[in-house]
Amino acid sequence: MAECKGGGDRSPSSSMDSSTHPVLSTTSSGCRPARRDLSIDLHLGLSLSSASSLLAPDSKSIPSKPRNQVPLDWPPIKPFLKRTLTASARRRRTLFVKVYMEGVPIGRKLDLLLLDGYDSLLAKLCHMFKTSITYADVMEYHRRVPHEKAAYVLTYEDQDGDWMMVGDVPWEYVSSLPDKREETEDCKNG
Amino acid sequence: MIYFPEEVVEHIFSFLPSHSDRNTVSLVCKVWYEIERLSRRAVFVGNCYAVRPERVVRRFPKLCVLTVKGKPHFADFNLVPPDWGGYAAPWIEAAARGCVGLEELRMKRMVVSDESLELLARSFPRFKALVLISCEGFSTEGLADIASHCKLLRELDLQENDVEDRGPRWLSCFPDSCTSLVSLNFACIKGEVDSASLERLVAKSPNLRSLRLNRAVTVDTLSKILMRTPNLEDLGTGNFTNEFQTESYLRLTNALEKCKMLKSLSGFWDASPVCVPFIYPLCHQLTGLNLSYTPTLDYSDLTRMISRCVKLQRLWVLDCISDKGLQVVASSCKDLQELRVFPSDFYVAGYSAVTEEGLVAISSGCPKLSSLLYFCHQMTNDALITIAKNCPNFIRFRLCILEPRKPDAMTNQPLDEGFGAIVRECKGLRRLSISGLLTDKVFMYIGKYAKHLEMLSIAFAGDSDDGMMHVLNGCKNLRKLEIRDSPFGDGALLGNVAKYETMRSLWMSSCNVTLKGCEILASKMPMLNVEIMNELDGSSEMEENPGDFSKVEKLYVYRTTAGTRGDAPNFVKIL
Repeated sequence: MAECKGGGDRSPSSSMDSSTHPVLSTTSSGCRPARRDLSIDLHLGLSLSSASSLLAPDSKSIPSKPRNQVPLDWPPIKPFLKRTLTASARRRRTLFVKVYMEGVPIGRKLDLLLLDGYDSLLAKLCHMFKTSITYADVMEYHRRVPHEKAAYVLTYEDQDGDWMMVGDVPWEYVSSLPDKREETEDCKNG
Repeated sequence: MIYFPEEVVEHIFSFLPSHSDRNTVSLVCKVWYEIERLSRRAVFVGNCYAVRPERVVRRFPKLCVLTVKGKPHFADFNLVPPDWGGYAAPWIEAAARGCVGLEELRMKRMVVSDESLELLARSFPRFKALVLISCEGFSTEGLADIASHCKLLRELDLQENDVEDRGPRWLSCFPDSCTSLVSLNFACIKGEVDSASLERLVAKSPNLRSLRLNRAVTVDTLSKILMRTPNLEDLGTGNFTNEFQTESYLRLTNALEKCKMLKSLSGFWDASPVCVPFIYPLCHQLTGLNLSYTPTLDYSDLTRMISRCVKLQRLWVLDCISDKGLQVVASSCKDLQELRVFPSDFYVAGYSAVTEEGLVAISSGCPKLSSLLYFCHQMTNDALITIAKNCPNFIRFRLCILEPRKPDAMTNQPLDEGFGAIVRECKGLRRLSISGLLTDKVFMYIGKYAKHLEMLSIAFAGDSDDGMMHVLNGCKNLRKLEIRDSPFGDGALLGNVAKYETMRSLWMSSCNVTLKGCEILASKMPMLNVEIMNELDGSSEMEENPGDFSKVEKLYVYRTTAGTRGDAPNFVKIL
């Protein structure tokens, strides 16, 4: 991706070749403008059967508005620091993802680039939504923890419209992808 | 009574370490007052409008070190309108007339002009140190005068000032004879810097111990400079972008390895993760690290660096470090005394990777922690209670939950109990900033337990006048109280008016105080200046309707011996 700075030991910054990873397709990126905030929908779903109804065809985003009306002189940060961070923030890459829990219209948002793997993502989401969430092998999870109540499952919808379990694709590829939609389902019967 | 010769008394006074002690002895009797004032070297003026400069200069003719503070603290957050005041000129002019032995001038939140800097440069032949913090009104031309004429200059420390850039000439104004520089900080200078001049200056300053560069200085220049400063103790780097040549960075590592005394690092402007490993050789000796200007480093870059900084005492960092990163800090930096975590995303509904968990981890790993500034999006009472138990040594505790009035993230309760635990356990607490959902109860705790509290900052908190009354009645050592967007009105303002004479100042903005209340305060307490600022209306409307019950937008009350100040702008009305 064009705006990825500081290569080093990070994953290669070149754009994803969709032929090597058929399930996750990228939009043809070309040269992206330097300060894109990449938005993706992640949906935490509830039931297996109504997968189709969980699709939110309109990826209309709920705008990030402060819950209260907050003055311009808040938060209390010195102007020097504010200026410095604003100038630098435009250069920092972010990969904001919207996460919805099924049945709850108001979602949460998080920056995938601030996490270092699926475990972090899961831990963060469990903390945010105060529920147990699983990914990858649902069956195995319930074998391991048989008495645990039904967890939410994290899934995503890819460009082809297929619903896939989160966790199979290496994290480095996830964090370099521009356009992925995710959703979760509940595993009621284990 | 046995009378000591004056020289003996003076000698005894020289052992008194603090301003307040010297102030106290000067009150004992006239003789002691005279001895004290004629031998006083350093004076601290916490509010430039509390006393007239001429009076200070007349009382202390041997003054060598003068510290003056101007605007109220909330000016840092744009709450004080521009042109409010805080001018340095009267102080510099008075000193130029009455204390030509002046050696050091320290100013904070004041408006300093180039003319004043020129006067300063030319008036004091023994001038050694200029420290300007959060000031404005001057340009690099004023600095050129300082550099040119202060032949004994040891310290030029510019911290977070708003300086107009008129070119890099100032750095080449230091004469060849000036070899006394110990500390140079120009990190806040916005413009270009002439590398050759900088290298020349460093080359002729063998005593340089502290050097903080600005963003314009490249890695190349930095490595050349560092080859000349093996005794450097404090370094603020220039920019560290990833447009580098590996060769420059290797030269940098070589140069840094020679700096065995280097203990404190800051700067890292635009630092790319690739350049972080070049700092590793230094990490084990660092006691201070400021990474708050570097949002481009993520938690893994930061933790790889910080986990090596086993002697770290002071850490300033962005919330990109995340809770996980703070756990690494907690397990690596056992000597940590001061922590500041700033928000990289300041929008209220934005995202922060730090929560109460990170702070709890720090508190359990770093029991020496005494000074904290922590920005986060959520907090819980349980966490605060745990933190209070783990770290009873807090002197400064400032917590800013970015969303105003946000309750406990787990229980949805107010955070009264959490902050109550802090003030109860931390018996030495001197400074406190509170946030989140808070009722009058937290103020009851503060008034009851925070007996050493000197400064309290309140935002979006409390239910009624009772809250503020608890603080005014209970906090015996309170010096500065600043309040914004809280429901305190005339009842609280007038509930303990004598208290304000024991304090430096009170600030209230977007509260419920009315013009009438302020007028009553002003009439009851002639030793206070009661300043009100209503920017929207201007002053004329207030004059037309005296005794109006309209709300006062901004109120600033301070004790003073100087009377009404003559330099107040239109929008400030002094009652």
